[in-house]
Amino acid sequence: MSETVVLPKKFRAEEIVKVLADLHRLSGDGPVTLDFREVEEFDSSTLAFLGHITDCFPGVAAANVPEALAKAEAAFVRRPDGCWPEKPAVPPATGRTDRFLQGMSDRFLARLRVLGRFLAMFGDEVYHITHYLRRRKGVYPGEIWNQMFFMGYRSVPIVSLLIFLVGVTISITSVDQLKLFGADIYIADLVGLAMLRELVPLMTGVILSGKVGAAVTAELASMTVLEEVDALKTMGIVPEKFLMVPRLISITLVVPLLVAIADAVGIFGGIVVARFSFGMLPKAFLDQMLNSVDWTDFAWGLVKTVVFGWAVVVGAGFKGLTVGRSAEEVGRATTESVVLSVTMIIIIDCIFAFVLY
Amino acid sequence: MDIITARDLTVGYGKTAILRGLGFAIPAGRITAVVGVSGSGKSTLLKTLAGLLPPLAGGFDFAGRAVDYRSEASLDFLYGKIGVLYQDGALLNGLTLYENVALPVRMHYPELPEAVVRDMVHAGLAQVEMADSAEKYPSELSGGMRKRGALARALVLDPEVVFCDEPSSGLDPITSHLLDDLLLRLKEGFKMTLVVVTHELRSIERVADRVLLLNDGGLRFAGEYSALLASPDEFVKTFFLRKDHHHDDA
Repeated sequence: MSETVVLPKKFRAEEIVKVLADLHRLSGDGPVTLDFREVEEFDSSTLAFLGHITDCFPGVAAANVPEALAKAEAAFVRRPDGCWPEKPAVPPATGRTDRFLQGMSDRFLARLRVLGRFLAMFGDEVYHITHYLRRRKGVYPGEIWNQMFFMGYRSVPIVSLLIFLVGVTISITSVDQLKLFGADIYIADLVGLAMLRELVPLMTGVILSGKVGAAVTAELASMTVLEEVDALKTMGIVPEKFLMVPRLISITLVVPLLVAIADAVGIFGGIVVARFSFGMLPKAFLDQMLNSVDWTDFAWGLVKTVVFGWAVVVGAGFKGLTVGRSAEEVGRATTESVVLSVTMIIIIDCIFAFVLY
Repeated sequence: MDIITARDLTVGYGKTAILRGLGFAIPAGRITAVVGVSGSGKSTLLKTLAGLLPPLAGGFDFAGRAVDYRSEASLDFLYGKIGVLYQDGALLNGLTLYENVALPVRMHYPELPEAVVRDMVHAGLAQVEMADSAEKYPSELSGGMRKRGALARALVLDPEVVFCDEPSSGLDPITSHLLDDLLLRLKEGFKMTLVVVTHELRSIERVADRVLLLNDGGLRFAGEYSALLASPDEFVKTFFLRKDHHHDDA
C-alpha cells in the first residue's frame, strides 16, 4: 500500500530528523511519497536531504517539489557519492583476527621505530657532548650557566621540601613498628639507607621529570612549532647539539648538588621524627646511621640520580624535538615526556636494584 | 647563471607527494617568486630547497653541486650558502635581537673577537633599519620588526641565496612595501639571489624577475614575470589578472 507524507511548511534539519524516523518505519510497508507542496522554508539540510532521497531510501519518492527548492537543489554541490547510512558501516566480520593482529604488529613496529630513534638520539647526544668538550663549539656561550641556574638553583626548594617530607613520613610510619621490637634506635639505619640508596635518587628523578623534563619539552616543542628549530638548522647549527648539550651538561653538574642537599634534608626529616617521637638525639642518630651506611651508598645514589637526570633530559628533548606542527601537540608532548621520564626512571631503578643488591 | 637547478623533483611529507616531477632553474642575482594558491606546496618546496625536507624523488643542484640529503657535508655546504626568512621570523625568544643576529656568527666563528661580531651585527641590523632595537627581545617587537630582524640574521653571514617564506603575510601594506624595498635593495646592492614564496600579487609585481607558479601538484608556469602576463594559459591569467572564472583548471 502506498503512503504519502505531506511535509510541513518549515522543513529544516529539525523536521528532517522527525521525517527520517517515519521513513524508516514506513519504508518496509511499500512505496512512500514525500509531498513537498507545502514546503516554503528550507535550508542546506533540506537540499542535501532532497538530493539523497532516491539514493538512500529505495521505494521513497519526492513529489510536488516547489520550483524554488528544485532550483536550489540543482545548484547545491553535493558529495559525488554515498548516502546517509542508517547505521555506521560495520566492517565485515571475516578476517577480524587478522586485522587485529595486523593492527597490533603495526603498533608494535611503530613503537620499535620510536625506540630506535630515541636510542639513536641518545647516542648522538653522547657524541655531541664529547665533540663539544673537545672543540668548545656549537653551543651558545652562557647557556650552560642559565640551565644550571634553572635546573639546579630553582629546583633546590621543591626538592628539599618534598624530600624532607618523605624523610618525615617514612620515619613516622616505621618508628611504631620498630618500637614493638624495642628496635626504635634502628630508625636511623632505616632512614639513612632508604634515603641514600633509594628514596633520594627516585624522588629527585621524579621531581626533575615534572619540573625540568616538562619545561624542556614544552620549550623545545614550542621552538619546533614556531620554526625556530628549522631556523637553527638552516643557519648550519645542529639543534640536537645547540639545545641539548647545555641541558645535559647542566643536569650532570647540578645533580650531585641536589643529591647532597636532598640526602641531608631527608635524613634531617628522620632526625626530627626520632627526636620528637622517642627523644633520640641528633648525634646519636647520626652515629647509629653511620654504622650501617658508607660512602658507596651515597655514591651509588649519586650515580643513579645522574642516570635518571640524563633519562629525563634526553626523553624530554626527544619528545620536544619530534613534536608535530600544532600548538595542541606541544601539550601532548609535554604530558608524554613526563610519563616517559617517570617510566624510564622506574625501569632504570629496577635494573640498578638487580645489579647492586 | 643558474644557482639552483631542479630535476624531476618530487616533494611532500611522509609518503604523500605534494608536488611531482618539478624541473626548473633559479638564476643567480635575481628575485624568483614562488607563487600558487594556498596548499599548492610553495612552503613545502621552499623547505626542500632549504635543506629541511628530503625530496621524495629527483633532486636539485645548488651552486653546481647536487644536494645529497644523506650527506652531512652536502647539507652543511647548502646551509653555509643560504639564509632563510621564516614566516613569523623564527627569532629565538630567549635571546635579544642582537644576540639572535650574532648567533650564526658566534656559532660558526667562535674565535672571532667580540668587537668584530658587534660590528657585523650592527651592520646587519642597520641594513634592515633595526639598529635601535638591538637590545629588545623578540616578544617586544612588532610582526614587521621581527621579520626585518630575522632578515638581518639571515643576511649576517652574506649568504648567496636568501629564501623568504611569505615575507608580507600578516603585515600592513606600508610595512609590506618597506620589506619589498629591502628585498630589492639586497638584489641590486649585494647581487643577492632571492627566492620569495608569496601570494601577494602586489609584491610579486614589484619585486619578482621570475615566477614559478605551482598548481595541481605541478609547475604551471616558470619564466620571466613579463612573459607571464602574456601567457595564454587561463589559470595564469586568472591568478595574476584576477579574472573571474568558474573552474579550477583551464
